[in-house]
Amino acid sequence: MNSLKEYFRKGDPYVLLSSLGLILSLVMVVFFVGIILVKGLSIFWPSDVELVQLKDGTKYLGELWSSEENKITNPDHSINVVPKVQYKTGNRDIYGFDFKWIDKSEIVSISNPADATVFERKEYGNFYGFIKKVAFKGKEYTKNNELFDKATEALDYSENLVEKQADLMKSGNPDAEDKIEKLNAEISSIQILIESADGSLNTFSLSKFVGFYQPNQMNLFEKSIHYLLNIWTFISGEPRESNTEGGVFPAIFGTVMMVILMSVLVVPFGVLAAVYLNEYAKQGLLTRIIRLSVNNLAGVPSIVYGIFGLGFFIYMIGGSIDTFFFSEKLPEPTYGTGGILWASLTLALLTLPVVVVATEEGILAVPKANKEGALALGATKWQMIRKIVLPNAAPGILTGLILAISRGAGEVAPLMITGVVKLAPAMPLDTIFPFFHPDRKFMHLGFHIYDVGFQSPNVEAAVPMVYSTALLLIIIVVFLNLLAIFLRNKMRKKYKSASF
Amino acid sequence: MVVNIKSSLSNLQQNDIQNEKIIIETRNLDFYYTSEKKSLINVNIQIPEKKVTAFIGPSGCGKSTLLRNFNRMNDLIPGIKLEGQILIEGQDIFDKSVRLEDLRKKVGMVFQKSNPFPMSIWENVAFGPKVNGETNSGTLNEMVESALKQADLWKEVKDRLTDSALDLSGGQQQRLCIARALANKPDIILMDEPASALDPISTGKIEETIEELKSNYTVVIVTHNMQQAARVSDYTAFMMVGELIEFNDTKTLFTTPEKKLTEEYITGRFG
Repeated sequence: MNSLKEYFRKGDPYVLLSSLGLILSLVMVVFFVGIILVKGLSIFWPSDVELVQLKDGTKYLGELWSSEENKITNPDHSINVVPKVQYKTGNRDIYGFDFKWIDKSEIVSISNPADATVFERKEYGNFYGFIKKVAFKGKEYTKNNELFDKATEALDYSENLVEKQADLMKSGNPDAEDKIEKLNAEISSIQILIESADGSLNTFSLSKFVGFYQPNQMNLFEKSIHYLLNIWTFISGEPRESNTEGGVFPAIFGTVMMVILMSVLVVPFGVLAAVYLNEYAKQGLLTRIIRLSVNNLAGVPSIVYGIFGLGFFIYMIGGSIDTFFFSEKLPEPTYGTGGILWASLTLALLTLPVVVVATEEGILAVPKANKEGALALGATKWQMIRKIVLPNAAPGILTGLILAISRGAGEVAPLMITGVVKLAPAMPLDTIFPFFHPDRKFMHLGFHIYDVGFQSPNVEAAVPMVYSTALLLIIIVVFLNLLAIFLRNKMRKKYKSASF
Repeated sequence: MVVNIKSSLSNLQQNDIQNEKIIIETRNLDFYYTSEKKSLINVNIQIPEKKVTAFIGPSGCGKSTLLRNFNRMNDLIPGIKLEGQILIEGQDIFDKSVRLEDLRKKVGMVFQKSNPFPMSIWENVAFGPKVNGETNSGTLNEMVESALKQADLWKEVKDRLTDSALDLSGGQQQRLCIARALANKPDIILMDEPASALDPISTGKIEETIEELKSNYTVVIVTHNMQQAARVSDYTAFMMVGELIEFNDTKTLFTTPEKKLTEEYITGRFG
């Protein structure tokens, strides 16, 4: 009896409980990060292409995607296990689907033909097949051993011509039209004949292709290079096919831009508010109510901020800006519609409480002796705040910024109604005067995840994209946080507390 | 203890308040932290120029409160009330025409706990002149050097003026705070138990510094330590429960106190 009492008095069970809690959270984090890492990074690996022949004679060419076991209960309550495999067969324009589930029992043979080629197209997703003929510069090539090289050459040539054509179009020269026509004809004459798994022959213009590769012939090194290139394309490229293919660069850019803009807006406001609340306002019931309200603001659902942003920033302020400065463009709105400025302002409002609270804590941590010391030397209150309080509170302010970034970068709901779009025609920052266009709509990784994962016409093909985009978003948030933490540590070193 | 004080007093000269020029004067000063609690009761004191004046008395007697009124540091505390007058160089410091910053520039202060700012040594000393509008770096350098020399710190820190002030030892930090106050070229320096957190050697150095300062500055020092008051001061005020009990030449106060309370305190019967 006594020993049990002693056991509880020492608190061993609580140590156990708390360690269990920690382990649980750690396991969840590791699992979460692990799943996103594995799923998000494996998509870029060029896996082998398999040619599958079924009992009924149909053939499919594609990448093994997933497998599962279907359990079918018979009338006599016994259970039949039916193993199935899923192949990404591509060729959506011909088959009408991208993915095919096949019963394992139906499969007669599986082979890895060396010349099986994966084509990445600008539209309709991948095409799987065998190159049969390449035609360009007035010549046709049909010899098996030179087909792939010639096709690569033809693709380069085609891309060159397309570029030339685009340059001509930009120049706006009236006598360029003939040249453009000619180029058009030449581009469409660069053709490739592909045989799909079922034996049908398809002719494509090479200008419809992004690239192609023969994974079954690649060794590990070549595959690794291809893998890294794929990742680079994903990070730096423009999205294709309603965002399910291609890269996410505009979304990365939009996210970072918005977070930076938000930080620039929220930090001065939050810091000034906290300074006034702590240094100038007479402490009493009113300041306590204000403090309580600010703390509670942090708990308001983000969509509410979105609606406020839409109503106040976009319709009221944006609308007024339009009537006063852009009236010639009305009824087409300039600022009276969602844009990166309004979205950043809305998020700044959303993260304001965090910054205010963190700054207040930073200010309260400034030794009173230092403040008195400055005042006793004849500093005005403002000089004292600027030279003593703010530098000493800088680590606290940066903590607020870190929290604000963490919250702001991942927020999607308020952005959907204040300026995020599925596909932005132009970036908010470019080379056209005045370089920064705060009225432009922008893309955002968080919204990208939602859009690709749940709004795209081809959800199955988009799932890996969701994981890789999520991974990217996490990496960016972590990176921005690390930046702020690095800054804070530098400040901490500089302004370590003066008390000894 | 009494013997100690006596030995400290033996080399003190006799001063006479009648012959001194008065720089700080209070008239019927009453001070309240809250409306119920009167912390200073009808204090009338005349502090002579270019002398060291010490305030002694038991804890809570109001000596720090009185000191902090001379540069209006008590203004920071909400809810205070003050009645009566404080004149510095004949000017009522609560008069509307007095700029608080100018007053504090003229009346420097050194706190009980050294409070160097988390900046370099140079920045610390230059802080006062800078906030008071000095921008010329040559002038600032001169001011910093002269202030550090007066505070007996120049030799120790002249090669590391850009180092953080927080890397200095406790005694050096306190002398830096003295230098910082001196850089403003004040007329009066208030010291609120400047050596109470220091070891005897550092305390000795501070006391030497005070001794040197009195040829150019008026020093008012609050101290818990009666030997210290006897060692450094020319005049001593004894306070109790918000009242000024006795104010006199230090030697007279310690050898032939007029009031019985003073005698009881300095002979260690209470406090």
